[in-house]
Amino acid sequence: MESMLTEPYMQRALLIAVLLAPLCGVLGVFVTARRMSFFSETVAHGSLAGVAIGLALGIDTSWPILGVSLVVALLVLWLRENTDLLTDTIMALLMSGFMAAGVVGFSKLRGFRGELHRYLFGDILSVGWPDVALAGVVCGFVLVFLVGRLSPMALMTLSEDLAHVSGTSVRRLNLVFVVLLTLTVALSIRLLGIILVTSLLVIPPATARNVASTLRQELLLSLVCGLLSGILGVVASYQFDLPCGPAIVLTAVGLFLVSLGARFLRRPPRPSARP
Amino acid sequence: MASIRFHREGLALEVRGLRVSLGETEVLRGIDLHVPKGRIVAVIGPNGSGKTTLLRCLLGLQKPSAGEIRIFGQPLGPKVLGRVGYVPQRLALDRSFLLSVREFLALRLRETRHWIWWRRSTLDLHLRGLLPGHDLGPLLDRPVAGLSGGQLQRVLVAFSLIGSPELLLLDEPTAGVDAPGEQSFYELIASVHRERQLSVVLVSHDLSMVYRHACRVYALNGVICCEGTPEEVMNADSLRQAYGMHFTPYHHDHGPGHHHHPGGGC
Repeated sequence: MESMLTEPYMQRALLIAVLLAPLCGVLGVFVTARRMSFFSETVAHGSLAGVAIGLALGIDTSWPILGVSLVVALLVLWLRENTDLLTDTIMALLMSGFMAAGVVGFSKLRGFRGELHRYLFGDILSVGWPDVALAGVVCGFVLVFLVGRLSPMALMTLSEDLAHVSGTSVRRLNLVFVVLLTLTVALSIRLLGIILVTSLLVIPPATARNVASTLRQELLLSLVCGLLSGILGVVASYQFDLPCGPAIVLTAVGLFLVSLGARFLRRPPRPSARP
Repeated sequence: MASIRFHREGLALEVRGLRVSLGETEVLRGIDLHVPKGRIVAVIGPNGSGKTTLLRCLLGLQKPSAGEIRIFGQPLGPKVLGRVGYVPQRLALDRSFLLSVREFLALRLRETRHWIWWRRSTLDLHLRGLLPGHDLGPLLDRPVAGLSGGQLQRVLVAFSLIGSPELLLLDEPTAGVDAPGEQSFYELIASVHRERQLSVVLVSHDLSMVYRHACRVYALNGVICCEGTPEEVMNADSLRQAYGMHFTPYHHDHGPGHHHHPGGGC
């Protein structure tokens, strides 16, 4: 355990987990209630094109990942406002288009085939200090946003019309939320990988809902579940030589199962009405 | 001119020449509507007549293609919306969002904006007396998404009254509420109106409740087909214009002062 903490790459991985995993838990409460899970999938998958661009240019992939993720997110919003296409259609189109571009890019790059796996499923070795610094900045922004705008955010989640009448600029608040969510997802790809990053936005809120009865409890429990999943997953990844993303996700699933048990102990499932 | 200004000063809401197009269809064509201060005015009309579009314009949620909306003499904007309360049609609530009634009400109270850090008992002190004569206490711990139709509408009225609005806009507020719940809802609105001298715009297709509570009625079907007192508008000829040729209104008493309309012809 001690040697684990003295390894610089583990320090970086644990730090980024402590910064981003609870953030995913809290943002996930709004993401799931607003049915935006597919949006984060779209952003994450689309960012593969950013990975390919970064590798082709020989630069740190964090910046192109962030850039392409933001482009995908803003394109979703723009197409939703300016076309008659269904949001699902727009997201499927962008997700497959950008991911295909990323795969084509990888196929043309020599010597990076092995890299694909670590971007798809996460790798604690791939976290650099610039990633930790970026995660710290994004974490700060999200905290300021949540502390200052929690009430309008909760109201907008319940009803955009009520939020508007209560004096909230729904369009602006939605844009800020989407940008912060995109940045969080893009940075979390290092740990969780493109395929699994959405799970940390979905599983901790689902775990919290099994035992919480108010939004405050849901937010707090989701934050704690995210944090525990992140830390325990990184440690398991080190100890058992597991890919980092799946280790974090399996920890989150374990916590979900515990909460499900607690829920059924408190409120046994109702017998089916059907014979 | 002086008389016009005096007239305008007595208005909570003034709509002039309002036109709204949704795609290729012009759903509202030259709407003029006036709501005197302290009165309940109803807008009735069949489904698809543009009632909800009109209300969305009044709330600044829908941009009109022409016309003017003034609330208390001021053009529609964020500042004047602060004087407006809104009770929406049935909310499509996601049961997985665990916002409790206590938290929901705290969202709009200026003093409790940072409710997440507050103790429950302190929040309750601020929420006490939001809806005079109606104890919301038993509902405060319940999730908003788990309330029955009638309970949810009561909570939404309490929410809309936060900040002491002077104009209340109600959009089909009893859609999906059972008959007793509907009656108690309108009694609540009537008592709030009496106590606070609020101006109220009630958008509804429920003719019997409109008949009982509104002082002026506008019948809408893309245009204002007719307007006047409930007695004037509820005559068959006027309503036939709004609701189409097959409309047959009739009232029968269930008790003192209670009129019921089956609505089957709408």
